[in-house]
Amino acid sequence: MDFAIFLVQLLNGLQYGLLLFLIASGLTLVFGVMGILNLAHGSMYMIGAYLMWYFVQLTDSFVLAALLSAVIALLLGVVIEKTLINRLYRRNHLDQVLLTIGMIFVFNAMQSLLWGDDPLGVAVPGWLSGSISLTELVEYPVYRIFVALLCLLLAAGLYLVINRTRLGMLVRAGESNREMVECLGIDINRLYTIVFGAGVMLAALAGVVSAPMASIVPGMGEHVLISCFVVVVIGGMGSIKGAFVAALMVGIVDTFAAVLLPQLSSMIVYILMAVILIIKPQGLFSS
Amino acid sequence: MQAQPLLAVRGLHSFYGESHVLHGVDLTIQPGQALSLMGRNGMGKTTTLKSLLGLLQPRSGSVEFLGRDVGKLPTWKRMREGIAYVPEGRGMFHNLTVKEHLQMAARPGIGGKLEWDYDRVLATFPRLAERLTNLGTQLSGGEQQMLAIGRALLTNPELLILDEATEGLAPLIRKEIWEVIAHVRASGISTLIVDKNIEVLKNLCDRHVVLVKGQVVFDGDTQDLQDNLSQIECWLSV
Ligand SMILES: Nc1ncnc2c1ncn2[C@@H]1O[C@H](COP(=O)(O)OP(=O)(O)OP(=O)(O)O)[C@@H](O)[C@H]1O
Ligand SMILES: [Mg+2]
Repeated sequence: MDFAIFLVQLLNGLQYGLLLFLIASGLTLVFGVMGILNLAHGSMYMIGAYLMWYFVQLTDSFVLAALLSAVIALLLGVVIEKTLINRLYRRNHLDQVLLTIGMIFVFNAMQSLLWGDDPLGVAVPGWLSGSISLTELVEYPVYRIFVALLCLLLAAGLYLVINRTRLGMLVRAGESNREMVECLGIDINRLYTIVFGAGVMLAALAGVVSAPMASIVPGMGEHVLISCFVVVVIGGMGSIKGAFVAALMVGIVDTFAAVLLPQLSSMIVYILMAVILIIKPQGLFSS
Repeated sequence: MQAQPLLAVRGLHSFYGESHVLHGVDLTIQPGQALSLMGRNGMGKTTTLKSLLGLLQPRSGSVEFLGRDVGKLPTWKRMREGIAYVPEGRGMFHNLTVKEHLQMAARPGIGGKLEWDYDRVLATFPRLAERLTNLGTQLSGGEQQMLAIGRALLTNPELLILDEATEGLAPLIRKEIWEVIAHVRASGISTLIVDKNIEVLKNLCDRHVVLVKGQVVFDGDTQDLQDNLSQIECWLSV
């Protein structure tokens, strides 16, 4: 592998990892703060991509379609939390699994009804198309760089909100001791709605920005869900920092494996997960 | 005519599963008063607090705060009526610094009351001021207790509820905590204090309630307490 290919793969791996982080952050946050294992989280990624396709058709504007998709995903997240997820807080993991798997079936059926089962595509917007030269011979698509930077920006925003704002303090406090948060006069259910809605929106945004990079197909949510679970488990359940590190690891390992070890590529991230769990059974950054 | 009580708890019956722990507990606190709730281990003191705060749903009984029936409200809304709680075990957040514990809790009390702010809490607890960037769980037991009390005061409550605030602390630190509680009392905040130290409570509180096996066996003022001291000490001793 010469340096140019290495560089391209490294960038691909980083960009994929950042995208995974965007999805996994909501999964791990909802688990850490609310104790909910949301198997339907991947569906939010799928919904983001389909919404993006739909709104691009409708408005012919990438930015407008992305904003509309994000807002609708946020509202959807709020409605789902208030009508379904809030029934789970005092129940066990089996009930959570049953309900959220059921939600996957419902979302898939809705996708099939609304948008059909044929692969769909979204074009890269004109202002983000084209490539930049990395070396004399190697070019890299501008759109992928845009996605990576956007994901980094969102990750930084998430970090700031969680670590530097009162909302973030409440979220962390809720993660540590729910009852005590309520005893300070704070409506923990509203906090949960916000956290869940934000998580859904981030996953949907990942779907939105990946729409121009990969075809939009049924089942894309389940596929990404499994990768996100690997990320969350490696990083330590509930740890945002862990999810960030693990997502980059998974992104890079997965990307290089596809090039270097094509026969093993479908299992390499699970091997990575197994090795890490042998060394650190609670994941890298568990609290 | 009797003034409207700050807190009126009547006929609480509470269960953990099938086990019947409170058998009709009554408590009344008048505005500005301090009430001590005493009893041996396992007699139902903490359960009484949890039941009146809604952390545990009693099977029957009523809770009124400032004349308003709060028995059906979720815990956080009851606290918003002007109640603050320092739980047994202190309720630290393991992932928040001292400063964040205080910042996250701060809010005006009812009617916009803002007697306690961040600076006043730090002036009252200078030890906390030195440890602002430590995590709550990195503090000593006494410092954690001060943080829990400071955090509660920052909600500008009408009533401060303290469950075993001096439990497990060294005598000198205990003394410091009692001094702080006396200071809070003097500032006009009503208090409900669960503790076992009858000598201190006698001087600090206006009324005293003793629980035995989930029932109120004594409810009187400090004079009544003095008059029945030997009987009460017998209820409290192991
Ligand atoms: N979560 C629980 N589940 C079942 N039983 C409980 C639970 N908590 C307390 N109990 C029981 O209820 C009774 C009253 O307990 P409670 O904690 O109210 O006592 P307490 O007066 O606060 O005692 P202490 O001085 O030890 O704090 C005890 O017999 C205790 O064993
Ligand atoms: Mg107790």
